[in-house]
This record gives sequence, structure tokens and C-alpha cells, in this order.
Amino acid sequence: MTEPGAARPLLDVRDLRVHFFTGAGIVRAVDGVDFAVQPQETLGLVGESGSGKTVTSLTLLRLSPRPARVVGGRIDFEGEDILTKSEKAMTGVRGKRMAMVFQNPAYSLNPIYSIGDQLGEIVRWHEKVGRREGDARVTELLRLVGITDPGARLRQFPHELSGGMKQRVCIARALLCNPALVLADEPTTNLDVTIQAQILDLLLELKDRFRTSMVLVTHDMGVVARMADRITVMYAGRICETADARTIFRSPQHPYTRALLESMPRVDHSYARDDARRLPVIAGRPPNLIEPPTGCRFHPRCPEAGEECRRIMPEPKAIGPGHTVSCLKRGSSGVAA
Amino acid sequence: MGITRYIVRRLMFSVALVLGVSVIIFTLINAIGNPVEILLADRPGITQEAIDAISRYYNLDQPPLIRYFVWLWNVVRGDFGTSIVYNQPVGDMLFTWGLETMKIQIPAILISLVAAIFIAVTAATRQYSRVDFGVMSGALLGQSLPGFFVGIILILVFSYWLGIFPSYGAYSTRRMLMGSGLIDGLWHMVLPVAMLAFFNTATLTLLMRSNMVDVLRHDFIMAARASGLPERRVVYRHAVRNAFIPVLTYLGILFGLMLGTAPVTETVFTWPGLGFLYIQAIQQLDYPVIMGETMIITVMLVTATLLTDIAYVLIDPRIRLE
Repeated sequence: MTEPGAARPLLDVRDLRVHFFTGAGIVRAVDGVDFAVQPQETLGLVGESGSGKTVTSLTLLRLSPRPARVVGGRIDFEGEDILTKSEKAMTGVRGKRMAMVFQNPAYSLNPIYSIGDQLGEIVRWHEKVGRREGDARVTELLRLVGITDPGARLRQFPHELSGGMKQRVCIARALLCNPALVLADEPTTNLDVTIQAQILDLLLELKDRFRTSMVLVTHDMGVVARMADRITVMYAGRICETADARTIFRSPQHPYTRALLESMPRVDHSYARDDARRLPVIAGRPPNLIEPPTGCRFHPRCPEAGEECRRIMPEPKAIGPGHTVSCLKRGSSGVAA
Repeated sequence: MGITRYIVRRLMFSVALVLGVSVIIFTLINAIGNPVEILLADRPGITQEAIDAISRYYNLDQPPLIRYFVWLWNVVRGDFGTSIVYNQPVGDMLFTWGLETMKIQIPAILISLVAAIFIAVTAATRQYSRVDFGVMSGALLGQSLPGFFVGIILILVFSYWLGIFPSYGAYSTRRMLMGSGLIDGLWHMVLPVAMLAFFNTATLTLLMRSNMVDVLRHDFIMAARASGLPERRVVYRHAVRNAFIPVLTYLGILFGLMLGTAPVTETVFTWPGLGFLYIQAIQQLDYPVIMGETMIITVMLVTATLLTDIAYVLIDPRIRLE
């Protein structure tokens, strides 16, 4: 079925649109997003706050919160369209084939159930096994995420663990049923810097061991540089550029990608308050998604924007192997919008 | 170890609290004056000698301090004195009338608890929907309606118009004479229980709904969904138990004060309960009954709050009693 060399992607998102229907108007949080994740690949989904990356990842599990609604597109996961599945069928996908690690470990464990209780519940639910087998699986996973004395930890409660420990438990929870895809939404943002590095290493190690794919949602270019095979850059609910990690860092094409990389502080550079040595910032403010800018979403802040950028919304164009960019200045075509 | 010490300390504190309450109530009653004089004043044919004699009979000729300690000593021995209106031992009265109050209060609290959890969960999982607004409006209305009004509406509809349920009393005379009281007793309970449950449900629903709305916003709820647990399980196993923790406090107060919180219901339905008795005793200055009942209510409340604290530990592992 699958042709050699042209493996079908594990996850294929096409023209996904998720809008929030609020009293103030329709918020176009995700407005025509395409990306794909290959088996055992890590895709970095990068963008600033409000760019739609968290909504995108929740929508992959069909958990986008009200008043959000998927208004268009397809999400093909393991050959089936997530968006047309029944709610009952989704409970067999969530946590079993596709799992998620949340941003804030302090709040993503239920405070009143022990670790063994809440993780065991998931194993027992999906694998239809008894308490003994469930606990054995949980203990095994806790050991793999580097928790010492995992058997004793089963009886501990979340408040008895440190932040880093909690995130390890959350990673263990995501991997309990050996999923094909793990969504990690800012998994290290709320952790100390030293713990961050440990958690990132752990994710890489476990991803190889479990042969899972990963979508790593982050605003931190440093994190994707370390983790991602390929990178998709999002801005205001649209994709700007997708390429393998090396290409994104060596020769970024989209003006937003370039601006994002330039605004990263570098250790080999000294900054000051005067204009010449100031850390570059992206001028302007993130756009209002109820009335997004016409044409290219980035044009009001783009140093290269021309007159046509105001009228025409660029479509993704392939400019190299695995490298697509949506920018009229890089040869994208588009439609008036 | 920790919990035993905590309970012992709390019990010691409770004894002090109960004693303090008894001193306050005793002082207040005495501030009103000699009840025998007040009750019998201006009655034709009552001489000062008669009043003195009756006062002596109830030890009212003794100084207040002595009388307090006599009362206290008797209470310690289990004797609450004799009602000056009913001429019965107060201890026995508290027991029989208290049972009648519990008969309507306990079912009312339990029914309203189950109803409130169900209604609140339904509303909270549909936040800002019509169902939610309906529940909120109903609960707010339920909280603001005066008790006697609801009671009288119940009597009007179910007793007067429909003629289904009796409008007063705990038993009907005929049944009592025939001696088969169970069905009859339950039948009489329906309206007073409904009235009490109505108000409890309103308050508990508002409390539970706002807690549920709060808990449902937490990441661990989204994480439970993302783990593939079905929504019903996420709501009832993961959200309800968290949202219930603050409700426990209110539940403790409901149980703790239940002997004294139904006077309106008991008056509207002429129910022979402690709330009814309390009001009567105050009107008639039946001070042994006032003292005894205040003591019982205080002890109940103190016990209920202690049990609530212990229940907290069982339901929330983060809480330690120190």
C-alpha cells in the first residue's frame, strides 16, 4: 500500500480553520493551516503567543475549548480523518494513539488522586487490564522517565513532587499506552532552566525509545533548535514557513522567520541601549484576530512589505526540498483577501 | 499521632466554647428578669406569696451565680431540668422533639445534596447556556424567597387544591390511634421535607455550580480528556470531587445547625420539632428549655465542624490537620 521512499505521513493537516465565535466577533485563531508529521519525526510548531499554535494542537485531539469551532480542513491521523470521528472513537485515539504533555505541570495533575491512581486509571481504561497490570505499567513508565523508587511514588500525591518531577510524571502519562504521536505544548516553559534541559533530553531519549513522533509547540527558538527535525513557523493563525531545522536556522526565507531569529539574544554578542547595539525587535503589535490584516497577515510589521502584500493573501510555495514559504516576495501566488 | 492530638485539642477547645455559650445565654435570660414574675404578672388571683413560692420551687430565689453552677452540675449529671411550661424533663423533651426535627432535616439535606450535585453539574458543563441561566435564576429565586411563602404555597397547592398531602402535624390522630404509623408518618413528612430541601438545594446548587465552573477550567481536566477518559468520567470522577471540597464546609454547617434551623418550616406545618419548641420557649421564657436546646445546638455544631475537618483530610490529600 505504502510506496517505498514515499512514506505516508503519520499526521497530515490540510487547510485547518478553527474560529472562536465570541460576543465581540469571530476570532480567526487558526485560519488555513497545513503541516505534516512523518513517523518518528519531531515537528517544532513555533510562533508567538496568540499565533494559534496551542489551539492547533488541542484541535488535533478535537479538544479545542468552546466557543471554538472547526470551520474547515482535514486532520488525517494514521489514515483516518480525526474531524469526522465520533466522540466515542476519539476516546480511543486520545491518550492511546495521540497523547499530550501540557504546559504547566503544576496544574495538569489532579491534586486529589495519587500518581498511581490517576495514571493507572488511564492504562486500565485503554488497555482493559486489571489494577496489578496497570500499576506495573505505570511503575515501568515512571522508571523510564527517571523517577527514583517508582513503586513508592505510586502512592504519592502531586503536591509531594517538585515541578520537574511533575513534568516527568506528565510525560510518563503521555507515553503509558505507547502512542504514535505526542503533542508537547510548551513542555518546559514553566520549569527552571536547569530542569528544562533535563526534560528536553528526556523527551528526545523517550521519543527514540518509543519510536513516537512529536509535535513540539513552543515560542522558544532555542528549544526547537535542540529538539526539532523540521520546523513550522506560525503567525496570526497562518503558516509562514516550513523547512527542516537546519534550513530554518541557516537560510530562513520568510521575513517573519528572519525577524524571529534576529530577535533571539545571542551569547556571543553584547547588547546595549543605543540604537546600533540594541537587540532587534519586531516592530508593531501582534494582530487582532477578529479583524486580521488584509492580504498577508504579517504585512503591517514586515520590513519588505509592498503594495500587493496588503491585498493578496499568499499561499504556500515550495522553494526547495521540504521547504515551503508563504510570501509574495518569495514567489508565492495568492488570492485577494 | 498528629490527628489524635489535633482532635484532643479541638475537643478541649470545644468544651470551653460550649461553656462560654452557656454563660452568655444564662446571662441574657437572667437579664430579662424573673420569668415567673413576668409570666404571672397582672394575672388576677395571683398573690405575691404564690409568685415567691413558685420561684422558690424553681430555685429562682437563689443568686444567679449559684443557680448557674447548680444548672451546670445537673447538666453534667445528665439532668437538664424541668420545663416550666410543659412540666416535663427537658432532656426527654429535647430527645423526642429533636427526633422529629431530624426526621425532616436529614432527608431534606440528603435529597438536596444529591439534587444540587446533579443540577450543578448539568449547569456547569453547559456554562452560559439556557440551561445554565435557568438553573442560576431558579437557584437565586429559591435563595431569595421567604420561607413561609414557599411553605404556604406548598400547602395551598398540595393540601388545599390537590388534597394529596396533609398540611400540618407529624401524624394524623386516627392513624396514631390505630397504631400503623409508618406510611402515615412518611406522608406527613413530604411537604416539610420538600420545603427544607428546596432552600438547601438552591444554596448548594449555586455553591456547587460555581466550584464546578472553576474546576472545569483547570488543566488537569483538559489533561484527563486528552488521556482519552470519557467525558462523564472526567466530570464525575475528576471534577466533582474537587468541586465538592468547599461544599463540605457548608454541608457541615447544615448538619451542625439542623436542630435549630427549621423553625419557620416547623411553624408553617405545625411540626412538633425543636425549632418550633425553641420559638415557643423564648416567647414563654421557658428558660430550662432555652438553655438545654442552646446547649444541644452548640454541641452539635461543634461536633459537625470537627467531623467536617476530619472529612477534609479524607477527601483532600493536601490538607493536614496540625
